[in-house]
Amino acid sequence: MPRRILKNRGERRILGRVEPEDFIGRAEELERIDSLLSPGAKARGLLVLTPPAAGVSELLRQSYDEIFRRHEGVVPVYFAFSTDDKTTLATARRFFHTFLQQLAAWHHNDPSQLETVLPMADLADAVAPADHEWVEQLIEAVERARDDERALLRLCLSAPQKVSARGTRVLVMLDGLHLTERLKGEASLGAEFAQALMRSDLPFVLAGLRRRLLDIVRFEGDDLSRVQSLRLERLPDRDARTLVERLAKQAGLVLHDETRDLIVQQLGGKPFYMTSLLQSAREKEVALTTFLNCQQLYVDELMGGRLFRHFDSMMESITTASAQRRALIRVLYESKTSDGSRAQVETWRKRLNVEPDQLQQIIRELHINELASLNANFIEVGNGSHAWSDYLATRYRMEVAAEPRALVVAETLLETLKRAPHTMARHYRRAAALGLRELLVYFNGQRVPASLLHYDRFSRAYKGLDAESLAVGLDAETDLVRLPQVVHAASCAAFYPPIQAFCDEERCAVAPGFDAGTYTDANEVVWIAAEIESKLEAGRGMTEVWCDRLMNVARACGFSRVRLWLVAPEGFSAEASELLAERDAYGSSRHQLELLTARLSADLAATASEEEGTDEFELVIPMGEDTELIAATTVDQIARRLNFQPEAINQIKTALVEACINASEHSLSPDRKIYQRFRLESDKLVVTVSSRGVLPPNFSEQNGGRTRAQSNGHEVQATRTNGSSERRGWGLTLIKSLMDEVEFERVDDGTRLRMIKYLRRT
Amino acid sequence: MAESLNGAPVRSRCIGEMAVIYATDYLNKLSGERIERECRKQLEQGCRALVINFRDTELVNSIGVSILLGVIDAAETVGAQLVFSDVNRQTIALFEMLGLTRHVALAQDEQEALSTLTEFTTPQSAVVGH
Repeated sequence: MPRRILKNRGERRILGRVEPEDFIGRAEELERIDSLLSPGAKARGLLVLTPPAAGVSELLRQSYDEIFRRHEGVVPVYFAFSTDDKTTLATARRFFHTFLQQLAAWHHNDPSQLETVLPMADLADAVAPADHEWVEQLIEAVERARDDERALLRLCLSAPQKVSARGTRVLVMLDGLHLTERLKGEASLGAEFAQALMRSDLPFVLAGLRRRLLDIVRFEGDDLSRVQSLRLERLPDRDARTLVERLAKQAGLVLHDETRDLIVQQLGGKPFYMTSLLQSAREKEVALTTFLNCQQLYVDELMGGRLFRHFDSMMESITTASAQRRALIRVLYESKTSDGSRAQVETWRKRLNVEPDQLQQIIRELHINELASLNANFIEVGNGSHAWSDYLATRYRMEVAAEPRALVVAETLLETLKRAPHTMARHYRRAAALGLRELLVYFNGQRVPASLLHYDRFSRAYKGLDAESLAVGLDAETDLVRLPQVVHAASCAAFYPPIQAFCDEERCAVAPGFDAGTYTDANEVVWIAAEIESKLEAGRGMTEVWCDRLMNVARACGFSRVRLWLVAPEGFSAEASELLAERDAYGSSRHQLELLTARLSADLAATASEEEGTDEFELVIPMGEDTELIAATTVDQIARRLNFQPEAINQIKTALVEACINASEHSLSPDRKIYQRFRLESDKLVVTVSSRGVLPPNFSEQNGGRTRAQSNGHEVQATRTNGSSERRGWGLTLIKSLMDEVEFERVDDGTRLRMIKYLRRT
Repeated sequence: MAESLNGAPVRSRCIGEMAVIYATDYLNKLSGERIERECRKQLEQGCRALVINFRDTELVNSIGVSILLGVIDAAETVGAQLVFSDVNRQTIALFEMLGLTRHVALAQDEQEALSTLTEFTTPQSAVVGH
């Protein structure tokens, strides 16, 4: 999403915590708020439903700043409810005071007036002369009604309407509406605010945590067509990466792509968490160049930094008594680490030893803050974010298990370091996932060539054909499959959590729908699709296991009519295809899926990065499209400079080609690039091939290891078998046979293969 | 070398019951599959002997070799003979390293390959075979 460029770029911020040009992402959300002010706006009110720590407050503050700076006849008003607010009366008065001060600042077009809090009595003099009289009267009325909650609320909430009645529009933005539930008083301030705004003609924004906002804001009997909702989602990875880069640059910190991505993934792209970590790095002057540095900072943050304070204050607001908080940490942690992580409410009550009312309050707060989920009579402590899980684990170990702090710090650091490659690998797998769930939604009853769903047919008809001939062949097919009209698609894990033991959430999807035009029981069908990992054509055994797994899902969910669809990168062996036919299931290769996706209109994108270099030859090639040939040609020219013999040059070229193919095939690289470095020394050529992404399973044991290859090894020995299953995977062995030394260097992310060929003068 | 990788089909020619298939300069997955496709087509059309001519082939990768093994299997299944000709020294070394030369005959050039195969495909030798 492009960053929004503000009109008055360069002017200093008003309420915003960051400069407008540093407010990354959320351009669409800013537009949605702005659109409330346009003359022909359909909606007058906007409900912003947000997950915790998603950055909604900064969004509203940035919106405030922009509208203030434009000064086009609309007074922006931003008011954030706080955990420090205790009573309805005091909070209503604080709103009234904030409103008048912001009104005065806007009238004078002077943001500096917001920097000091004026006494209430002085605010009548601060506003525009035309407003002086009514503001003075209103302040007096509010003072008189200090003990009458209803009257005071009415007066406070009438203030924006009075400004509007005098011809100046007001946009009221209320932040953290879910916090009004904690206020002591007769009236529900959140509901009163919502109703007052709904019944006025003012544009407004009401923001709060998504699990609570709609329960607070009830527009009974009001015109709901004038209110829209905006669901704030996690900051997209691309924007989160930009944010981290920007923060690092401002702080003068060195940051690598790998560490940037780890920060984004580990902290779930949450702006507050990322900002906290980067601030910590700045204060400690730590370069973010290694996973170790990042995790040390992260653990410091968890143990006593901003992240610690964030979670700690959240826990304090849920339960104030320290003994009770310790019991809650124990229950949360033990529930989270136990099988199923699901317990009855009554079990929690007994373990926490609290009264039912208090328990309800605790559970509600956990639920609203998405630290646990309440479903009927069960509480589920989900995985949540890494940060929350790690905080919980450290608190448990120190407060409940009474372990020494140094031990907790050390072991947390070790664990987070070990976890880092898995976090990145999961991210890469997710990014490389074929998007089955999204694709299923596109089905929409369309007809596609049957061969796209039958690997054996596709292989027979099209293997080896160029793209154009293939397209012509597919277009000419008369055997077409009508895809179902999918009514809902979700991850398989959402329907049947145990499937997560076998595959990532993104790689398996369930899609109920109808496979004919009419909505009848007979036409109802559920597609269950899964991407399976197989370097080669998937064999019968593996295919059978997956068919059984997916049928288990179907049985557990009570689906009566099911269509299984397996996708394997290289397709399926003849025996596996037979099995699929026996099971009336579909099987496609990645290539078929791409063709299907193209036909159903979908696309993918890639990211980019760069690498620095010194006095060696360097080459960066994109993966695929036979680009390894470019590498081979390059190394040919370089090797000639050292007078390698033609046979040795060919061996180097072949080894390099294999290394490139390995990188392309197995890394799930996020940037789809292969970085190569060629260093000529007096007696040898050193070639380094690296790529970001997942460490291939057969490489993992060797990463950091070193082998002295046999220069003329005959140990590779490809074998002929009944199928193709053993005809692949020789690349690494071949490289070792062709080069004199082969070494996997340890890297934080991906693989780096170092190969040496010695010069043998004849 | 890369110029030929433009999607051009594999060249081949038939001589009676024999066919010669010409590999391109880089034997990889795509060009390998083209060769495999052409070989299978020739076998389906009744060819009893195949020559794969590698005179233009400068570079071979392991995926290409794995596909050649598939071609060897396919020929063997239908009882057809297969000879690789004009293989350069480096590629022979690679084929040896991967054990390919244990399953296929190599000929110096196309002429030598055809001469060898002519003996095999003549009815006389077929009788001898029985």
